[in-house]
Amino acid sequence: MKNFDIGKLAKMIDHTELKSSSGEKKIKNLCDEAKQYGFISVCINPANVKYAKEQLEGSEVIVCSVVGFPLGMNTSGIKALEAKKAVEQGASEIDMVINVGALRDGKYDYVRDDIKQVVQASAPAHVKVILETCYLTDEEIVKACELSVEAGAHFVKTSTGFGAFGAFEHHVKLMRKTVVPDIGVKASGGVSNFKDAMRMVNAGATRLGTSAGIVILEGAKLFKYAPDAWLEPEIPCHICPARSANMAKLPKALYQYYNKMCMNCEHREKYNRFYE
Amino acid sequence: MNGWMNKIVEINLSTGKQKTLIIDDDVRRKFIGGRGLALKLYTDMCSVDIDAFDEDNALILLTGPLTGIIQTAGRYQVTSRSPLTGTIMDSSSGGFFGANLKKAGFDGLVITGKADKPVYLKITEEGIEIKSAEHIWGKNTHETMKMLHDTSSSNISVACIGPAGENLVPFASIMNDKDRAAGRGGMGAVMGSKNLKAITAFGEKEVSVSDPEGLKKIISTINTLIDKNPVTGKSLQLLGTAGLVNVINAFGMFPTENFKRGVFNDAEGISGEKIAETICTGRSACFKCPIACGRKTKTENREGEGPEYETIWAFGAQLGINDLEAITEANYTCNELGIDTITTGSTIGCAMELYEKGVFPEKLEWGDSSNLVKLVEDIAYKRGIGKDLALGSKKLAEKYGKPELAMQIKGMEIPAYDPRGAQGQALSYATSNRGGCHMQGYLISPEVLGSPAFMDRYSIEGKAEIVALFQDISAAVDTLVLCRFLQFAISIDTFKDILNIVTGLDYTENELLKVGTRIYNLERKLNSEAGFSRKDDMLPSRFLKEKLTEGASRNRVVQIDEMLDRYYKLRGWDENGIPKDETLKKLEI
Repeated sequence: MKNFDIGKLAKMIDHTELKSSSGEKKIKNLCDEAKQYGFISVCINPANVKYAKEQLEGSEVIVCSVVGFPLGMNTSGIKALEAKKAVEQGASEIDMVINVGALRDGKYDYVRDDIKQVVQASAPAHVKVILETCYLTDEEIVKACELSVEAGAHFVKTSTGFGAFGAFEHHVKLMRKTVVPDIGVKASGGVSNFKDAMRMVNAGATRLGTSAGIVILEGAKLFKYAPDAWLEPEIPCHICPARSANMAKLPKALYQYYNKMCMNCEHREKYNRFYE
Repeated sequence: MNGWMNKIVEINLSTGKQKTLIIDDDVRRKFIGGRGLALKLYTDMCSVDIDAFDEDNALILLTGPLTGIIQTAGRYQVTSRSPLTGTIMDSSSGGFFGANLKKAGFDGLVITGKADKPVYLKITEEGIEIKSAEHIWGKNTHETMKMLHDTSSSNISVACIGPAGENLVPFASIMNDKDRAAGRGGMGAVMGSKNLKAITAFGEKEVSVSDPEGLKKIISTINTLIDKNPVTGKSLQLLGTAGLVNVINAFGMFPTENFKRGVFNDAEGISGEKIAETICTGRSACFKCPIACGRKTKTENREGEGPEYETIWAFGAQLGINDLEAITEANYTCNELGIDTITTGSTIGCAMELYEKGVFPEKLEWGDSSNLVKLVEDIAYKRGIGKDLALGSKKLAEKYGKPELAMQIKGMEIPAYDPRGAQGQALSYATSNRGGCHMQGYLISPEVLGSPAFMDRYSIEGKAEIVALFQDISAAVDTLVLCRFLQFAISIDTFKDILNIVTGLDYTENELLKVGTRIYNLERKLNSEAGFSRKDDMLPSRFLKEKLTEGASRNRVVQIDEMLDRYYKLRGWDENGIPKDETLKKLEI
């Protein structure tokens, strides 16, 4: 990772703007920035796809639209229709949210079919499946990855950025280990600086979803001057999902799951979770 | 030459003579402008044992190649020997004075000698006039600026001293454009020692640019980078620097009662959020700056700007004071009298602890804001106990037999971040060439704010490398004379692009960084020749022995020795902190 290539990093970033408050001016800026900095795509809401496609005319930047976003609780038919319309309007990639509740209920056929309907409706566009890892146990993440591959998806993706927390190295590694090499892994949510980005790439991410792409690239220019220092390991708690487990935002069972992960952690003796 | 007016003038106030200095191309390439070129000029003109108030001591005000052109480039850099520390000192101020000086046709001024009577310099496109300042001597900075504005037909910038500078208080500041300050290290006192009350500047000349189309694009890029960065694009715009109060307090690093504690229970009441709710009347910006971090404020009696984060701390938590109105009034008074808020507040805090220990004769108690403004006035005029306090904390604490109670390094007071909560910042404080300073290497950026990325604030691993890097980048940016806040958003690679577009030169990012390294080493060499060494790269014993007892940085002390060894080795300095001959040779010093 010491030979850090900023151009290659840019080509891994989905330059993202998904806030409901963002109007056309923001989307135009997003597109202009993506062209200027060489990001692979702009990741936007379906309502902005047509406009973004027009702004990106003649450039290599592609449009990525989210579907069933951010909760994933629409019916499969609606998700498929939403994806089809987005592709018709110019989207080359679709980031769909799975039905998290169905997965946690063990309704695997439903989840697989939900993804499959979107994959079929999106073709030839590629589909990334957002697992919303913050609401899943490790076991459920593995299952969701398997279902995504079985349904024909091209990527698995960690987070919407609207959940209890975003991407963690722990989850990216697990996803990378579960899917075959030709399936991509996208880390998204909370990737806000170049060290976050490097950590995710080192864990196996092939794509990054972030609204901080410009900050990441500019910050990454500092890396070459002191690579060893920047690569000093983090306090394990700082990069552990268990540390972000918030009682108010997580279902009780998941909060207990993460709490147990923390209690059993080998680093617990050395690092005081609440004061580090 | 693009980016320059090709005119740095030496003015000898003893003789009244002026001389345009010829700057060798090689010197300009190696030191660029601002802090670097001023350092080089100072080194060539002044001996290492010269006293700050000696007539022959030079006071150098310099702009840079970007001054008057891009965002934040209205600044100027001041260099001389410090009467507070005895080190080489660089101090910098925002506003518009630098841009006006440049547009009048001057890249900078080298002021030597001492006028018989108070004078001021009037700088226009026609030249430099030395004029009598007897009518404004004794006036405060705001009165001085107003009187000089009234006698001028144009929209001038004024840089001046107040009574503190006239009275040679060793931490007097130079004030410009009302409330902008070259605050630290007593540059105002050096100016006062020369009987120089003020400098006015105005001009409308254009600074030539090598690539005008490239300039338009890079200005747009700078705006984008500023906007996208969470510090420059959001917090500084919404709350100003005062937005740090709650952040640093939450990290347990908000020094309270002379650094005895790291948490101030009343921080919320003196925070940036509270300022926004109460005394803030608007924002203010320096030359072409989209950040506009300045806060216009109003108390019951007065209007002004600030207080900034450091000042809120110096007159707030450092003294146990939670009265925002009193802090703001003290800030206004410092600005009017021309005195550094950090050293002033920290020295009062030192006196409060001396009183608490029973060795200071005057009653000064934590949390008592009733006499704060009067104390500041007494310091500026060296009246009563103000005469003692005007020594600065180091000499004050030594005088009363408790040197360990001065929270200073090399004689300059440490600002508003407890180093026990951030090991890198501790090393940066210790090795700063000008003393207890957060500006020469702001490690709070990666250790607390996560910019450009987070580093473990308690770890000493990798800190020597990052401290040296940040110090060198800061020195390089100071040659361009830009606002340090740009460093949150812009890398040295992009600064290099800006420099090349304006000047038409072909710096690489490594060459620009090497300019910063060269400056840092030359400053170090000058200081070592003046007797500074490892013994002076030391934090007060409080930070090494006394653990913080509460908050998010509790149970921590600074591990300075381990970091210093690594840092010296990395720098190419000997174990005593002196640059080795081969290091200086490699840097072409």
